[in-house]
Amino acid sequence: MTKLQARNVIKHFDHNGNSVVALNGINLNVEEGDFVCIVGPSGCGKSTFLNIVAGLEKPDSGEILLNGKPISSPGPDRTLVFQEGALFPWLKVIDNVEFGLKMAGIPKNERSEISKRYLDMMQLTKFADSYTYQLSTGMKQRVAIARALAMDPEILLMDEPFAALDSQTRDLLLVELQLIWERTRKTIIFVTHNISESVILGNRVVVFKNRPSKIKKEIVIDYRRPRLAEDENLQKYYHQILDELKSEVIARAKDENQ
Amino acid sequence: MTESLTTTQKTHHRNLDDAANAVLLLAVFIGIWQLVFMLGIWPKVSLPSPAMVTESFSRIVWNHSLPVSIGVTLARLVGAFAISMALGMLIGLGMIRFKGFGKTLNSFSAGLLSFPSIAWVPFSILLIGFNEFGIMFVVIMSSIFSIMISTYSSIRNIPPLYLDAAKNMGAKGFALFRHVTIPAATPSLIIGLRQAWSFAWHAIIGAEILMSILGLGHILSVGREFLDMSQVIASMITIFAIGLLVDRLILYKVEERVRRKWGLDFHR
Repeated sequence: MTKLQARNVIKHFDHNGNSVVALNGINLNVEEGDFVCIVGPSGCGKSTFLNIVAGLEKPDSGEILLNGKPISSPGPDRTLVFQEGALFPWLKVIDNVEFGLKMAGIPKNERSEISKRYLDMMQLTKFADSYTYQLSTGMKQRVAIARALAMDPEILLMDEPFAALDSQTRDLLLVELQLIWERTRKTIIFVTHNISESVILGNRVVVFKNRPSKIKKEIVIDYRRPRLAEDENLQKYYHQILDELKSEVIARAKDENQ
Repeated sequence: MTESLTTTQKTHHRNLDDAANAVLLLAVFIGIWQLVFMLGIWPKVSLPSPAMVTESFSRIVWNHSLPVSIGVTLARLVGAFAISMALGMLIGLGMIRFKGFGKTLNSFSAGLLSFPSIAWVPFSILLIGFNEFGIMFVVIMSSIFSIMISTYSSIRNIPPLYLDAAKNMGAKGFALFRHVTIPAATPSLIIGLRQAWSFAWHAIIGAEILMSILGLGHILSVGREFLDMSQVIASMITIFAIGLLVDRLILYKVEERVRRKWGLDFHR
């Protein structure tokens, strides 16, 4: 069953008075339970696409359907994990995880049951009553993922959630995320500029072209899980994507020098 | 457990050190004052000794003029500041709600914030008269702009990321305001309130000197009329002490608490 369908999504930006095309007709189908990674050079509009799916930005034309219905506003059925975590510093870890549930009007005891389950899954039970400044960056991202999962969204959107992490923490979370996906079978769209990340995580890797961006290529990665960063068999996928991306990164650099 | 204990002990030590330094500074100040007094550069009427001021101080305490003045001044101040806070925050929220209005009003903020409180006095006397409301009017006008502008700017400066995250989790309308906007704006709003309080404190003493028959500003001006420099200095010390105590015991404490909870003190 098709969970999410993007139809010819176009988005312009105003840049110093000039209109810049950020997305030039994106068409993408995501099946239920799929794990899709989007890679592309920085500034190619992949985050913009994710924001549009989340409903935080509106496309200039085209539409996005979730379960066949067009989306128009932000909603808890599409939770987004931000690059910076975006946890609320005035709330304890557990209250951060419960925030969306509270907004949905779920009663207190049910909320704490759900949040405890996800904190446990993320091995954060000990830190339930901590404030976010007491956590490391990696722990913060785990809280952010727990917060997103707690809402039991139709689709989980992740915008470079591991970009700010050190490599050991990242490798750990890459495995954890695969295990979570296998356990929950959530539909996930994961945006990254890091090719290895996309190869490790995705069932499919969608390569975005440099601006005006379109989908350049889709690569299916049919390989057993959990995949590890050091697995050499993933190299061929890595190089396949790198070949696609190389010319885009060069084009991007040219754009910026002009 | 042990860790938190040592932190408490450390804080305790630091507080003691701070107190010792403050006492030392005061002792040096009084010493220099006494020395200047003994040099006899100014006549006693113009510059009394610390002992004379202490005597004057105990006189106005025992004849009740000081306690009454403190009570009157603080009552006026708290009343006026409460009104100022309520109105100022309301207008600040209005500035957020109606963007054009907010932008226009904000462009006058530099003029409004730097407008001297004393300059409201003649206006207030002619408009309202020599009464409680006249004084409170000066206090309100002197602090309301600071509250208004800081309400406006602390909400506008909330990182968009928080709002995006909240909306993404289904927060909207009043729930978004109550659970995200208010807490996210609080640390910077408190700084604004602290500033507004100090404007209000400036204003009330000024207004009382010029328009009152009671209050701290009034006993200050009585001291001047009777050429009683000891009373003038005793009143000044009282004004200084109250300003310090209110800030340290209430405003600073509240700010510290919020900062600690928000984790703002951990990136020194």
